[in-house]
Amino acid sequence: MSTARTSNTYSAVGGIQHEEPLLFEHAHEAAEAISLPGVQGDISAELHAFSRQKPANIPGLSEPETVRHFVRMSQWNHGIETGFYPLGSCTMKYNPRVNEQVVRLSGLANIHPDQPIDSVQGVLALLYELQEWLCEIAGFSDVTLQPAAGAHGELAGLMMIRSCLDARGQQHRKKVLVPDSAHGTNPASAALCGMHCIELKSGADGRIDLDELKKHLDGDVAALMMTNPKTAGAFESDIKEICQLVHDAGGLVYGDGANLNALVGMARPGDMGIDCLHINVHKTFSTPHGGGGPGAGPVVVNDTLAPYLPVPRIVKEGENYRIETQEEQSCGTILGSIGQVGVLLRAHAYIAAFGRNHLHKIAQDAVLNANYVLHRLKDAYHVPFEGLCKHECLLTDEYQNKHGIKTLDVAKQLSDLGFHPMTVYFPLIVHGAMLIEPTETESKATLDSFCDAMLEIAAQCEAGDTQVLHDAPTKPIRRRLDETQAARKPVLVWSD
Amino acid sequence: MRFLPHTDTDRNAMLESMDMDVMSDLFTDIPSEFHLEQGSLDLPDALSEAGIVRKFTKASEQNRHAGNTRCFLGGGTYHHFVPAVVDYVISRGEFLTAYTPYQPEISQGTLQTLFEFQTMIARLTGMDVSNASMYEAATATAEAALMARRVTRKSKVVMAGSVNPRYRSVTQNYLSRLEGEYVEVATHGFSTDVDGIIASIDEDTACVIVQYPDFYGSVYDLAELRVACDAAKCLMVITFSDVTAFALIQSPGECGADIAVGSGQSLGIPMGFGGPHLGLLTCKQKYVRQMPGRVCGMTSDADGKRGFVLTLSTREQHIRREKATSNICSNQGLMCTAAATYMTLMGDEGLKTVATRSAAALHHLLSNLPKHVTAAQGARYNETVLSFVSEEKRSAFLVEARKRDIFAGIPLEQLDTNMAHNHLLVSTTEMIEEADIQDYLAALEVAA
Amino acid sequence: MRIEGDVATFGVSDHAQEALGDIVFVELPEIGRTVDAAEAYAVVESVKAVSDSYAPVAGEIIDVNEALESEPEKVNTEPYGAGWIAKVKMSGNSDELMSDDEYTTFLEE
Repeated sequence: MSTARTSNTYSAVGGIQHEEPLLFEHAHEAAEAISLPGVQGDISAELHAFSRQKPANIPGLSEPETVRHFVRMSQWNHGIETGFYPLGSCTMKYNPRVNEQVVRLSGLANIHPDQPIDSVQGVLALLYELQEWLCEIAGFSDVTLQPAAGAHGELAGLMMIRSCLDARGQQHRKKVLVPDSAHGTNPASAALCGMHCIELKSGADGRIDLDELKKHLDGDVAALMMTNPKTAGAFESDIKEICQLVHDAGGLVYGDGANLNALVGMARPGDMGIDCLHINVHKTFSTPHGGGGPGAGPVVVNDTLAPYLPVPRIVKEGENYRIETQEEQSCGTILGSIGQVGVLLRAHAYIAAFGRNHLHKIAQDAVLNANYVLHRLKDAYHVPFEGLCKHECLLTDEYQNKHGIKTLDVAKQLSDLGFHPMTVYFPLIVHGAMLIEPTETESKATLDSFCDAMLEIAAQCEAGDTQVLHDAPTKPIRRRLDETQAARKPVLVWSD
Repeated sequence: MRFLPHTDTDRNAMLESMDMDVMSDLFTDIPSEFHLEQGSLDLPDALSEAGIVRKFTKASEQNRHAGNTRCFLGGGTYHHFVPAVVDYVISRGEFLTAYTPYQPEISQGTLQTLFEFQTMIARLTGMDVSNASMYEAATATAEAALMARRVTRKSKVVMAGSVNPRYRSVTQNYLSRLEGEYVEVATHGFSTDVDGIIASIDEDTACVIVQYPDFYGSVYDLAELRVACDAAKCLMVITFSDVTAFALIQSPGECGADIAVGSGQSLGIPMGFGGPHLGLLTCKQKYVRQMPGRVCGMTSDADGKRGFVLTLSTREQHIRREKATSNICSNQGLMCTAAATYMTLMGDEGLKTVATRSAAALHHLLSNLPKHVTAAQGARYNETVLSFVSEEKRSAFLVEARKRDIFAGIPLEQLDTNMAHNHLLVSTTEMIEEADIQDYLAALEVAA
Repeated sequence: MRIEGDVATFGVSDHAQEALGDIVFVELPEIGRTVDAAEAYAVVESVKAVSDSYAPVAGEIIDVNEALESEPEKVNTEPYGAGWIAKVKMSGNSDELMSDDEYTTFLEE
């Protein structure tokens, strides 16, 4: 085990941090209202009859107070710009600032979705080019940009699969096979499509067990939903055979592209037999996570599913672009607009910055970093599945358990040492999972510092010095929060 | 590549520490037939930062936008004023580049902001509770229908024909693969047929969905519908597209809504050609465990200090999987921060000014309409339908308006293909000034 | 389960409440509903887990413990007392009763 540095050399050192009351507790009269433009005339008498009875009671703050209120709260957050954020399956990579700048150009940010089509050709050209790039990168023939997030993409994909099977007269196919390591959105999306999930038990290596798969492949199977690389970090090397088996049984293969970061520029899911795939642009193509969203989940499809794409769609005719709202076989409309345009434009800028000549370096450095972390930690933490990992690596707390330390304790101690914790207790197929995804935008120095911190925690366990781990975190603005209390007696709004 | 910190020296050192020679050693688990030749994808070569700015600026300049035109377009997306502070706050890296606040100790900024957001949205809509966002209004409406089916354990959904056609088509699509009846009640004229809706309610009805103000801007009385819903033990769902209305007119809560959903785009979020916007979902307290999406709650930490966490997570997909209340995971978190900042800057006073001026602009326009154009009757918030004698007359007006850099309205048939081709959906906000209305009226006169 | 006459009181075993951890919510069945033996009649939730609670015997729900709506923690503290979930008028005979082992197995599934 390498020598661990003492914790005071890590980046979290405390400093000025402010408490900030809730907006509703700022105890003074409402500030003078912000000055606004507009027509200062009367409203109609008819409308006046419907006047609101009681004021909403939203306290206004002056501009300086508003800025300080939110800036102080922002300082209680950890973001990718603050420090390392190795959340497995979340792909927390650096979000380029130029992308933020260009999407705020007035001609992109301030356009109404129902403007005359000739007045929006510039934005349509960017979106259309993104469509072509996504198809090329993932190896598919067509795409919808409409889904607002990954889970929404899953829903769109399953709707297309449903439409395709219905067109084949196979309304009875309602079984969706989902590996037990899958993200919870997979079964939830299937349920929304009137289908039900059958869970596939993973093999001993964490991959799909072909015998288990064959056992479930019957005439009722609509689709297999799979994530490749898996949420346990390993690549499904039998991918071609898996897709073939499903197709032979009359089903289709849905790919969850949450982990595309491991493949981009190196290999294409479309070449492997997958029929459709959603791409989380907020992961692979670095649009910011924003504290939970917005994301976007475009779905790329092969020729089998292309006729069933949702509407509206952006089409090109000659040199002009237009929006098609009617397609005979379409699976329908899934969103009130053509998509989360601002998010999609950031993805466009990200791909443009790498281009043909650098795109593969994303996957290379991401996979290098994950394997490097795995290599450095594999003696101190239990590794459930041997072998190469792709963009993320999976550890467990098995060695630490005998000292009474669990994954959660490791996670909380990491935040005292200046790192965001890894994803904990996911995937569900191993006990005490710690899923680490460093991404390609971290330096070797950061990775080493993180590994040193992890080794220090492991060493503290071995030395029986565990109280500090149970007490963690102590440095953030709040210590461990009582989630039981929050759920038993939910307080979701403030009462004065 | 400027976003990648490693030097080749770093890469080689890392590979060497793992007894590897080259990068491809890391990809041996991918069958070789799938390996791409590096640089073989059909993509343009990498652009410099300056190149990206140039490309996007050029594309931006090809578009007309609310900055160089006068925007009378609504229909679910509105050009309200966005104070500079809003964009500053959501540009801060701590908000912008944080993940979902699953580790609450180091996410209190996002969490307290969400709690404030939920409180302000509940107050503005007059409802008990709000979740921490849906994608946008159309999917939020669909989620409300699904939620009402869970609450009532009934399946029929009655939808008013005066609901935004996009909300209707998404809701219908969401429901189409599930058991249960979906009924749309046709509209007579450009307002909501409350009697027709009441006639469609039966004992299997889980909910009635009405838009208020409706798609045509009409503001109307919901008291009879509330009584009918109570009698049939079904839920009254109100959907809305411009939430600023409720600073001025009776809120969904005051109208007795069980669930109120809609768009929060008007609260400091740019139109952005359709997204990202903000879906709102609010409801009565007693339905909170059937709510979809994330929600933030108050609690205390190990030292007894007040803090916030995501709560009621057992409703969600990561725990309940196929029995979850929704499949939603990523939501519109940053847009909640934008809306919270906006409402904090505005307060009751500012919000009411926004709403009053939005409505006053429309009233002013309608009070001076020339005779060859007719406007839909009845109370309207900031949106209505103008009808021309013919499609040709409407086209002539749109041409005149464009000459004056005015986007004068949305041809109704673009949103609802069943509509005749002589109507325009027209909307006003506080961004419309007196002079804009004069120019609008002048264009109408010229095209008479 | 406790039986008095033809009325059975359903709840969660001590073993099950411990496995689930802090209970935060119990979704109670409707009064008047009839349940089969081994049918899920209630849902018990902790912060991060959801578990169906299965009827050990068939019958009609005649009462539910509404106190759990405000104090779900009673399932943890008094699983065999104030933490009961529902009272059921039994419809079957004792042959249909599940053994403790079977009941525990159901709860764990």
